[in-house]
Amino acid sequence: MIRWNADQAELREGLARWGEALSAGHIEQDEQATFSWDKWQLIRETGILQLPFDERWGGLGQSLLTTMYLLEGLGEHCRDSGLSFSVTTTMASTGVPVEKFGTDGQKERYLTRICSGEMIGAHAITEAEGGSDAMAMTTRAVRDGDQFVLDGSKIFVSNGPVADVFVVYARTHPDGGPLGVTAFLVDRDTPGLTIGKPTKKMGLRTSPLSELFFDECRIPRTQVLGRVGGGFIVLDYVMKREILFSFIVNVGEMQHRLDRCLDYAKTRRSFGKPIGSYQSVANKIVDTKIRLETARKWLYDTGERLAAGENVTVDLAIAKLVTSEANVETSLIAVQIFGGHGYMTEYGLEKDVRNAVAGTIYSGTTEIQYNRIASMLGLGK
Amino acid sequence: MSHVGTIKQFVIEEFLPDVTAQELADDHDLLSDGVIDSLGVLKLIAWVEDRFEVAIGDADLDPNNFRSVAAIDAFIAGARRPEVAGS
Repeated sequence: MIRWNADQAELREGLARWGEALSAGHIEQDEQATFSWDKWQLIRETGILQLPFDERWGGLGQSLLTTMYLLEGLGEHCRDSGLSFSVTTTMASTGVPVEKFGTDGQKERYLTRICSGEMIGAHAITEAEGGSDAMAMTTRAVRDGDQFVLDGSKIFVSNGPVADVFVVYARTHPDGGPLGVTAFLVDRDTPGLTIGKPTKKMGLRTSPLSELFFDECRIPRTQVLGRVGGGFIVLDYVMKREILFSFIVNVGEMQHRLDRCLDYAKTRRSFGKPIGSYQSVANKIVDTKIRLETARKWLYDTGERLAAGENVTVDLAIAKLVTSEANVETSLIAVQIFGGHGYMTEYGLEKDVRNAVAGTIYSGTTEIQYNRIASMLGLGK
Repeated sequence: MSHVGTIKQFVIEEFLPDVTAQELADDHDLLSDGVIDSLGVLKLIAWVEDRFEVAIGDADLDPNNFRSVAAIDAFIAGARRPEVAGS
C-alpha cells in the first residue's frame, strides 16, 4: 500500500474543507438534473483541475498518483458525483491529450484554460450505430486544403451541453482501420457544429450529456490533436487516465458510504441492539470494506505501473471492472443497511446506485473489459 | 533486404495464431479485414519502431504503410534507407 507523504496528506486535507460547499444541494440538483455553475466556480478555486499539468501551462505539476489521491478525496467529500464526473471528464478528455500531444499553441489556448477551469472540456467518440465499437465510427473529416471538413454525429458526450471545447474523433481515411481516425480540437462556437439538448439519464444527472452534430464543420489543420491518423493513439493514452481518474473518485465515494454505514450500524438499534451487532448486517459492511480495498489496490497499483511505463492493458481492464462492479454492489448494500430510509431519495443513497451503474458502461462497458482481457489471454481470435 | 518473413511471423503470432505463413498473403489487407484492431495497431507500431529502429513520424501514420505485410516491409525499407546511405 502506498504511504502518502506529509505534502500529499496536506493537499488532501485542504480539499476536504471544500466538501460541504461542493455537496450543497446535491439531492435537489440531481432531481432537477442541473449543472451548477456556482459549484464549478468552487471547483476552480480548489485548484483540483490544475493537479497533473505542467506549471508552464498553469498546472501544479503533481504526479499521476498524487492526482489520483486528491481525486479520491474529491469522491470522499463531494456528494455531487455528477460534478466530480464533469471534473474528471474535463481533465482526462481534453487536458490530458492536449498536454501530451498538443502543440505549444494548443496548450496556450486550451490547457491554460482547462487548468484554470475557464474552459470545460469534453470528448466525442461514441456514435449511434457503433456503440462501444469505436472502430466503426463513420463521422468523417475530409481534407480540403488547410482545413478538414467534419460531417456526422456523436452521442453520449458527457459535458456536451456545457463544454467550451470538444476533442472529436473522426475518420480521415475511409478504409484505414485504426490508422484512419484523427483527433480534432473543436471549439463550441465553430460554424457547422450543433450541440443537442441535454439527454435525460439514469444517474450522474448533474453532469449534463448531449449529442453533437457536424454539418460541413470546417476545422483548421492546426486543430488536429497529435498526428493525422493517430486518433487511436491519442484515445488509448486518454482512456488509461480517464479510467484511473474517474474510478478513483468512485473509491472515495465508496469510502464515504462505508463510513456512513458503519456509523449507522453502530447507532441504529433494532430489537434492543445496534444493527451492526447482527452478523447479517456486519457481513454486508465487511463485504463493502473488502470490495473498497480491492478496488483501491487495483487502481493505485495500475497507476504506479502506468507511471513506470509498464504495459497496463490487462491491469486497467481488471481495475475498471473490479471498481465499477464494487461500486454498484456496495451502493446496493448501503441502501439495504439503511432499509426504508436508504430507499428514500432524501438520504442520497438511492442516487448512489443510479450513479454507480454508469461506471459499468462508460469508459468501455464491463463486457468490453472482459473481451479485452480475453484477447490479451489469446482467446477469441 | 526484405523483412517479410519476420513481419509475417509477428503478425501471425500476435493477431492470427491459427494461420500459417503460407496462408497469409504478403498483400493481405490487415486493416480493412479487421485483423489488426485499435489495440493491435499500437502494438504493431511499437514493434516496428523497436525491432527495426525506425522512428515513425507524423506523415508515416498513413494507413497504407501498415495495410499489409508487404506494405510494412516497404515502409521499413524506405524509412531506413537514409540511415544506410549516411552510414
